[in-house]
Amino acid sequence: MNGIGVLAGIAFAHLAVRTRQTLVAILGVAIGVGFFLAVSGMMTGSQTDFIRTLIDTAPHIIVQDEQRNPARQPAVTAWPQAAVAVRGVRPQDEVRGLKDWPAMLAAARTQPGAVAAPSLSGAVAVRFAGRTEPLSLNGIDPRIEGQLTKIEASLVGGHLTDLEARPDGIIISRPLANRVGARLGDTLLVSSSAGVLQRMRILALIEPDARAGFYAGDNAAYGLLRTAQVLFARPNVVNQLHIKLGDPQAAEGVAVTLEARWGYKWVSWQERSRDIRNLLVVRNVIMYAVIAAILLVASFGIYTSVSTSVTDKRRDIAILRAMGFTEGDVEGVFLIEGLVVGVAGALVGFAFGSVLLEVLARLPITVQGKPLELPLDRGLRQYLIAGAASLASALVAAWLPARKAAGVDPVDILRGAA
Amino acid sequence: MTALIETAHVTRRLIDPETVTLVDDACLKIQPGEFVAVVGPSGCGKSSLLYLLGLLDRPDTGSVRIDGILTDGLSDAERTHLRLERIGFVFQFHFLLPELTAEANVALPIRRLGRLSRSQADDRAHELLAKLGLKGEAHRRPDRMSGGQRQRVAIARALANDPAIILGDEPTGNLDSANTRLIVEEFQRLAHEEGRAVVCVTHDMGVAAAADRRIHMLDGRIVPEPGPA
Repeated sequence: MNGIGVLAGIAFAHLAVRTRQTLVAILGVAIGVGFFLAVSGMMTGSQTDFIRTLIDTAPHIIVQDEQRNPARQPAVTAWPQAAVAVRGVRPQDEVRGLKDWPAMLAAARTQPGAVAAPSLSGAVAVRFAGRTEPLSLNGIDPRIEGQLTKIEASLVGGHLTDLEARPDGIIISRPLANRVGARLGDTLLVSSSAGVLQRMRILALIEPDARAGFYAGDNAAYGLLRTAQVLFARPNVVNQLHIKLGDPQAAEGVAVTLEARWGYKWVSWQERSRDIRNLLVVRNVIMYAVIAAILLVASFGIYTSVSTSVTDKRRDIAILRAMGFTEGDVEGVFLIEGLVVGVAGALVGFAFGSVLLEVLARLPITVQGKPLELPLDRGLRQYLIAGAASLASALVAAWLPARKAAGVDPVDILRGAA
Repeated sequence: MTALIETAHVTRRLIDPETVTLVDDACLKIQPGEFVAVVGPSGCGKSSLLYLLGLLDRPDTGSVRIDGILTDGLSDAERTHLRLERIGFVFQFHFLLPELTAEANVALPIRRLGRLSRSQADDRAHELLAKLGLKGEAHRRPDRMSGGQRQRVAIARALANDPAIILGDEPTGNLDSANTRLIVEEFQRLAHEEGRAVVCVTHDMGVAAAADRRIHMLDGRIVPEPGPA
């Protein structure tokens, strides 16, 4: 198709004389694009924020002293092709804990930007003022653990590194402290399943604050690794490795690779949150379906506008054809009309959507009495998706009447007019 | 001399729902510099013949040559390009695009052909309008012009790409006698001074009398010119 400028000139002229109809069509697209930006900005923003929380709350990879499959019997290993039947064999009782964990730790630390620390976790009971609560105690290396998660941002009354100065120190959640009636500085009686009793002093409280981006639950507690080993009567034993990578997205691949090498269960944050992430996919499908419906309604406006233009301009189409314009030229004129409405609608919609996002950003929302800013995605990607979707819907909406226009037989029109 | 328009046994039928023969076995030759009037009663097939000559319609049988080019085997795009380049149409109702100025209307086919730049196309349109006495009307829209002025703009548009053939479908049918005279004189000038072939379908005996030759049609057939009563 030659002379796109000529076709555009005719298209603009058509649109200019039908100002009201053109404006209504542009407004339809603009509203669609605006709400697209607002809704997808909120949904994508909250999703990004949620995934960031998933990544930051816990280490990217946790190595557990568990195997995904039971150990193979020696006979099966010795004769892999044979039909081996082993009866009455009980697996040997193993001492729990990660064997050769210093080598695994060293391997983890070779990953780009990796930070890794050992940990010993187990169940304990905590007693204070006659009340008893179950607790999951994590024995950690405070200096490294602070780099692995955002726990430090959630602490009130103390720091993670305070554990180094006080080996009998413990950090518990504020809700748990409230349940047992303990305060910062109080001493709790902690007992483990190994029968060891130890008095531990509360050095800091974990505040369940959504803004801090870390909360492992009411019953999670933290202490020094050495203290936990004493409490669980398992000197030099660790049952978890906590690993943070430079690139969180690489966690799944790294976990698979290292698990194949070491045999223990290396669980990435992606594996831990697979169900939740599947839910997010469903949520996105719903969101895009709703937005597609909005744009579909907007595209009806374009269809009506271009279709009316084709009906009104049948005589002009005939004369254009008589002048020497091709069917493709005529189709081009009306496609350009749709495209112009789509582009103008998208631009107005960008402005409208930006205003909506700004309004949402300033909404006074409080969570647990504290102001919370809505996580909004105002990135270029959202605008590109909205723009591309509106242009595509505009072209599809204009294409049907444009095809009809191209099929107009000039002789029929000229005969009728003569 | 090669005829600018030549038809050989052209027949066009319409099935709507019964078969109607619009043009029946039409054979004609029109030379450069000829002003030819096609006359006959309403519905005799004058306009249908004109659409066939203008490549807007295809004959069911027979052939049409334009400037020596046999058009039967040409694709729609090729026929459209030939029309754009070598044929100018003038209709009874000026058929100008109402949203565009006179100059923009005239410049449309020039810009579509794409041989001149936009400013050159505008200059050419301006020049054509001036030739037809419309120098001061170039930036007016058709709805602000008289019927005669509009028809002269339509002639300017037909001449935009300097075509060898001008086809008029009752071009004076909506004009008063003064404007009719102006248009007829212009057609005569285009044929005699510029060497174009001008074919004009008309009911107006005055216009027909001014033509160099008359083609009479009856029931779709070209018939001999009736003798004096």
